[in-house]
Amino acid sequence: MIRSATLLLTAVLLTALGAGPLAAQGDGYAFDEREPGTPLEAMIAAKLPSLVKVHGASGLRTIVPYATGVIVSTEGHILTLDLVMVQAGQTRVVLADGSVHMAELLPPDTRLGVRLLKIDPREVHIPLLPLELADTVPENGTFVFSIGNAFRLAEFSEKLSVTFGVVSATASTGLRYQLSDLDYDGQLILTDAANNPGHYGGGLFTLDGRLVGLNARIVESTETNTLVNAAIPAADLRDYVARWTGTGPVVVTPEDESAVPAVQGYHGIVLFDQGGRRSPPAYVERVRRRSPADALGLRPDDLIVRVGQQTIRSCKEFEEAMAGLAPGAQVELTYKRGDDVLRGTLVLTEPPR
Amino acid sequence: MIPNPWWVPAALLVCAGLPAQHPALSDPLELLRLQPVLRSAMRAVAPSTVRVETFGGTRQILTEEGQPADAVSGPQRDAPLRYTPKHLEELFGKIDPDELGQLWRDAGLEPKPAGEPFEARDLQRLGDARLKQLFRKYRCGPFAPRPERGGLGALTPPGFLQAQGATTGVVLEPDGWILVSRFALNFDPTTILVTLPDGRSFTARRAGEDTSRGIALVKIDATDLPVPTFLDPTEVRVGEWAFALGRTFGGGPLPSVHVGIVSATDRLFGRAVQIDANTSPANYGGPVIDVRGRVLGIAVPLSPQGRDAGVDWYDSGIGFAATVANLGELVDRMKAGEILHRGWLGIGLAADDLGPGARVANVAPESPARGVGLRPGDEIVTIDGTEVRNPFHLQVLLGAHMAGDPVHLRHRRGDGEPVGITVFLAEVPRAEREESTRAGETFQPPWEGDRPPEGGR
Repeated sequence: MIRSATLLLTAVLLTALGAGPLAAQGDGYAFDEREPGTPLEAMIAAKLPSLVKVHGASGLRTIVPYATGVIVSTEGHILTLDLVMVQAGQTRVVLADGSVHMAELLPPDTRLGVRLLKIDPREVHIPLLPLELADTVPENGTFVFSIGNAFRLAEFSEKLSVTFGVVSATASTGLRYQLSDLDYDGQLILTDAANNPGHYGGGLFTLDGRLVGLNARIVESTETNTLVNAAIPAADLRDYVARWTGTGPVVVTPEDESAVPAVQGYHGIVLFDQGGRRSPPAYVERVRRRSPADALGLRPDDLIVRVGQQTIRSCKEFEEAMAGLAPGAQVELTYKRGDDVLRGTLVLTEPPR
Repeated sequence: MIPNPWWVPAALLVCAGLPAQHPALSDPLELLRLQPVLRSAMRAVAPSTVRVETFGGTRQILTEEGQPADAVSGPQRDAPLRYTPKHLEELFGKIDPDELGQLWRDAGLEPKPAGEPFEARDLQRLGDARLKQLFRKYRCGPFAPRPERGGLGALTPPGFLQAQGATTGVVLEPDGWILVSRFALNFDPTTILVTLPDGRSFTARRAGEDTSRGIALVKIDATDLPVPTFLDPTEVRVGEWAFALGRTFGGGPLPSVHVGIVSATDRLFGRAVQIDANTSPANYGGPVIDVRGRVLGIAVPLSPQGRDAGVDWYDSGIGFAATVANLGELVDRMKAGEILHRGWLGIGLAADDLGPGARVANVAPESPARGVGLRPGDEIVTIDGTEVRNPFHLQVLLGAHMAGDPVHLRHRRGDGEPVGITVFLAEVPRAEREESTRAGETFQPPWEGDRPPEGGR
């Protein structure tokens, strides 16, 4: 209260005096350049000019037409999320000095859901300060700050928003996007540094200034049914960026690893699934004779609780986990028999004739 | 003439208006210094922080109205009253004739001829609005308590659909006793799987619960488990760092973490510490630790609104850690499988009563208070030897007690001398809990269960 009242009074006084910092510079619109005091302040100040505002196609009310991007080359490459609003001919980039640049779109990485933009470096009149993508994922409990244009609070040369938090975890499964046009199956950094529309595509930094993540859209966890702030690990983005900026070896990402095999591997487990709206836990009803499950020693009434690292809570989840596994695939199965938790390897075979 | 530089008044104002620099901010390296502290605290508790997964389960998640969460079609609250003659008989059996007489007069109905007693069907003439109130008050007819599954209500608030995801637990004792959140057991699962940080998995057996703290105890057949240090709640200070750990996301060596501070101590009458670190299903059941890795409590969904809820607050800066170090003998009772509830006396308090003492405004039917003969108008003078200063004080004195606890109270009737009695507190009836929540009264924490008089609303 006291603080805001003071600021208000100050503003009133400044107006009354008719002179002040706002009118001090030629373009009539400048921002204070306080010297950073703490190491964190200095680090933020150093990173801010490397992030840009991205404006794109608008139209539908559900489309947020703004985001953030990270400068990744002196040639004008800018990394951002491959959002709906990123459209050819409509995507503009606003640099730290307030200058606007039309961006050319490079092909996206559809798996990671990111895209490089390219602006013409000859039209840029400030140094382009590219950031390097860190090659490691931060440990849980690493303090981080996140920079982005949340809710388009910053316009022109106004500075982006910075939020602070800690890396909560890095998780690979059980996450979904609310508006799911980004099919992401890799790991995500979960953090409690606030992420919001507009902040997407911004950078997640450790206190020593390493760019460890690119702010993703807010995701919902299927484990918790709650929203979580997420970032795509920078380490996962290095190959894509290197490929298109020509700064590293070209690595071609395999296009579609999860293609359904011609023949589905056979396990021989029949689950007790009487149907119904909620799929029941994966209790074994029957084990087919001379099947891989038989070889493993699986028995009726065993409860399958895990396939590999994935928890299996229902028959449906078991079927999904097994789908796409070809004959010969080895699956680590964890199952409960009575009060014992057992483990074994299931080696899938060709289906019997 | 040279005008004053613009910044002079501003600087003066800033100096006058702002307090001296905050001590915590005077060290520009504080965050950098906190980093290794956080890490080592996490490492200290990580071996005691386990992953809890559940399978199967029959309990439906109910809404506030008691309907299955996916079966609610619209607002039920203002639905027309539907009742049967049987319901009327039931109500007639519970209602006091004097009260009925008063209601009769209030409704402006003609007095019954002398000698002619009231009958059950006379109740209809009071009108639906009054009938509804009566059914509700006496918890019968259409407002009869719903049968509870296993005696426990749903934890989750309406609007939040609980996922059966992994949650977290903390080792309480080395021979396999694990503390979890009641939230984890909400589905009444058929199988509970506890996975230790070293990768070993065990099936867990359910033991008792403390519903007032939102925690439950499970047992696995393991030995030599590492037990963390549980910090006595009296040593917790508002403003100290609080780190909330969880095992929902992944099985790496370090648990997940959310960082905040202790917002308040002694919440829910000493049962919880309030923190501003994010708590959510991602860390329910997990330890909330201090900078030395000592456990302040177990992250649980709780709320002072009595719905045992709080999941909807997960991003609000309000979280709770149920305290463990002050459980005392409750641990043994939980090991024995007891379901512990907060205590309930069953009295309403007068809103205009400023003390000293606390005047009883009404007495709930079938309550411990009625059992020992407390009546409206009685003034409670002492509780366990402590003089009651006012009704709020009474609530605090009663609040820490659990159902089954004996409470010695002295009460005065009229101008008489105070009389001492011992009353055994009961558990708050579910209907009472729901009712007081619905009423939205603010006079007292509704989860304490003692309702204010009708006039106090």
